[in-house]
Amino acid sequence: MPLYELGVILDPTLEDEHRTVFLGELKELLAKEGATIVKEDVWGKRTLAYLIDHKREGYYIFWQYEAPGTVIKPLEYRLRLSDQVMRYLNLNLDREMQRARKMEKVRAAQKAAKRAAKERAEAAAGAAPAAHAVREEA
Amino acid sequence: MSKKKYFVKRKKTCKFTAEGIEYIDYKNIDLIRQYVPVSGKILPRRVSGTNPIYQRKLTRAIKRARLMALLPFLGD
Repeated sequence: MPLYELGVILDPTLEDEHRTVFLGELKELLAKEGATIVKEDVWGKRTLAYLIDHKREGYYIFWQYEAPGTVIKPLEYRLRLSDQVMRYLNLNLDREMQRARKMEKVRAAQKAAKRAAKERAEAAAGAAPAAHAVREEA
Repeated sequence: MSKKKYFVKRKKTCKFTAEGIEYIDYKNIDLIRQYVPVSGKILPRRVSGTNPIYQRKLTRAIKRARLMALLPFLGD
């Protein structure tokens, strides 16, 4: 199951109870579709960079969750229809991190190769004087 | 008498290559802001010295940040 990241901006005028109820509904929906929330990041109220619906503030919430791809459609449908959601952004983090993970492997391989080369060079340096010594003895 | 014109050439480096930042998160506003001047425009590669691969990633991150109202579409 891929890892997704969902960012939601909620209406700041919403009361705490309504917000928890709405978030609970979302979590229920996610759980029903077989998703598990890995990480929750609540920024809370924050001033927006520009006005959205004549509002200066927004309530930011970020979730990272593992879910089958089938969860996206009903989730985004729900988010789009809701009045409380001002904006949302759903990303497939696995796809985003693909190159990062690949590069990590490449870097590790490069490091290993470098270390091996160094060891080989040291071994050669250690062997060379020995060979020289043998020739002198003869 | 003409003044002698000269300027010191600064070596431009790609921060992302140097520090090994592979995934540029749109939530990391402090990092992204370094590449968005007050005008709100995305700083071009020729100014920042960012490598093409990271410039594209950076651009995507900035645009996402704009969508989520973390950065302005229009600056001052």
